[in-house]
Amino acid sequence: MHRNLKIKLVLFFVFLMAGLIFALLFPRLTLPFGFAYIVFLMAKPLTVLLTTGSVRQRVFYFSLLVLGIIFSLLPLFAAFYNLDTDFGKFAEQLPEIERKLQDKYFIFKVYIFERFGYRLNIDPVSFLVKKVETSGVLLLAQIPDFLSSFFEWLLLVPMFLYFFFFQSKKFGQKFLQAIPNSIFEKTYVLFSQFNTKFGEYIIAKFIEATILGTIITIGLLIVGFPYPFILGFVAGVTNILPYIGPVLGVIPAIVIGFLSNDPNVAMLGMAMVFLIANLMDMVLVFPLLVSKVVDLNPIIVVVSVIVGGQLGGVVGMIVIIPFIAFFKLLFQEIYKDLSVQL
Amino acid sequence: MSYERDVMDKVQKGEVIPDRLDVNLIKYLWEASPISFGTKVNYHDFFKKISVLNSFSDNEIRIFTKFLHRREFVSNEVIFRQSDSGYGFYFIFDGSVDVYANHLNSNSDDIGDHIIKLEKRQYFGEMGLLEDFNRRSATVVSHEHTILLGIFKPDLERMLEMHPVVGAKFLRETALIMANRMGQMTREIMSLKRKIKELEQRI
Repeated sequence: MHRNLKIKLVLFFVFLMAGLIFALLFPRLTLPFGFAYIVFLMAKPLTVLLTTGSVRQRVFYFSLLVLGIIFSLLPLFAAFYNLDTDFGKFAEQLPEIERKLQDKYFIFKVYIFERFGYRLNIDPVSFLVKKVETSGVLLLAQIPDFLSSFFEWLLLVPMFLYFFFFQSKKFGQKFLQAIPNSIFEKTYVLFSQFNTKFGEYIIAKFIEATILGTIITIGLLIVGFPYPFILGFVAGVTNILPYIGPVLGVIPAIVIGFLSNDPNVAMLGMAMVFLIANLMDMVLVFPLLVSKVVDLNPIIVVVSVIVGGQLGGVVGMIVIIPFIAFFKLLFQEIYKDLSVQL
Repeated sequence: MSYERDVMDKVQKGEVIPDRLDVNLIKYLWEASPISFGTKVNYHDFFKKISVLNSFSDNEIRIFTKFLHRREFVSNEVIFRQSDSGYGFYFIFDGSVDVYANHLNSNSDDIGDHIIKLEKRQYFGEMGLLEDFNRRSATVVSHEHTILLGIFKPDLERMLEMHPVVGAKFLRETALIMANRMGQMTREIMSLKRKIKELEQRI
């Protein structure tokens, strides 16, 4: 290889590493940048739909988009309004919930004593209630920090979005130009595949979460289960996490059902709603939207979600899957190359 | 002034040249028009003279060029090696390339025997664009300072998504190239078989 080409290759990797280190050192910039990038990737297929095809097709897609926005914003506003009311009700009922939990725990303690002769001296209910209250207080204390970062994001995200929509083409060209010829084909193809996988995964999960959350909210409203908006919202959000999500989403509903006046009837209705919603998700939504994007072994997905949660909290749990899908592609490529060389 | 002249000026001044061929619409149409007496080599002329793109209209060629990458290679630079993973199809815009194949051991460092020299307006690597898990069947090295126009798998997918008619036409032309190559190979195999039979009869 020519000396200049070697220098170009080394410089390219130094530049990449420097970018990576910068991203890790300044998460306050990296996170809004990543968020803007996700929004940009989600909007990309829309721009293709709205800029290609015949005039009639474009008008059709545009009308569909406007209708979609109207129909998704209205319930969203309703959900947020009701979320607030639901949270208020929940805070008011906290002492009542504590009393009911203490009663149930007392019955359980008596049962254990009568059956096994063992006296339970711990008080998990008071501990749990104290924990909920202190987390609420901590949450209130964190509000100023949250607001400052919110305003930071309000400034940075539109700026980065402007960059992605109007400047990224030029930047992308310069980046591609900087890639040395010897690794151009592979780098370009892998980078494109990562972009496609990441964008498709985020859109698919977003739509899946919205559909599941809506079905659960409507279902709980029909069966008259308390806090339908909170539970629908929580089920939708947790559903973003594969395999673990649906289990996490049903836990708050079980707790609330257990505390209701007629637990058996409430639990039956709630269980039916969650079962139907998750069945619809498994049979219709997942095969149509998500399965073609993520072709990973379930065990790898679960382990990745746990590792992602450990590394980057909830955001890490969500974004780790497309990264793992990308690394799978990368390793397949490396393995293919090695197997030819051997 | 033509787009190509702009690029040459930028090269001489040491400025950065964009990777993509993003020729302005008006500029492109002017250069494609018969009344333009600009430089003889522009992208329109270049692709118009490539036989496999004969069926493309001027506007389709303009759309097609938007998906191409311009890569420059110094003399004797390896473009790709035999048994490398292949993803792209290249047109020689300027310069020439040498094709080598090692028939004995495709994994050794020896690039093998010189097979052919490809000149301006010729193309290579079409299998890489269509085949899944393609392995390059030969090593290609630039003979001199060479400019290649390459299209890669993600570009083809994007073209099919955004301009399905142009994408389908390009796929048809690529399939024709491969069919021609296969026909040529079949004829060569037949002739080799005939020669083997003649040799066997003589022995």
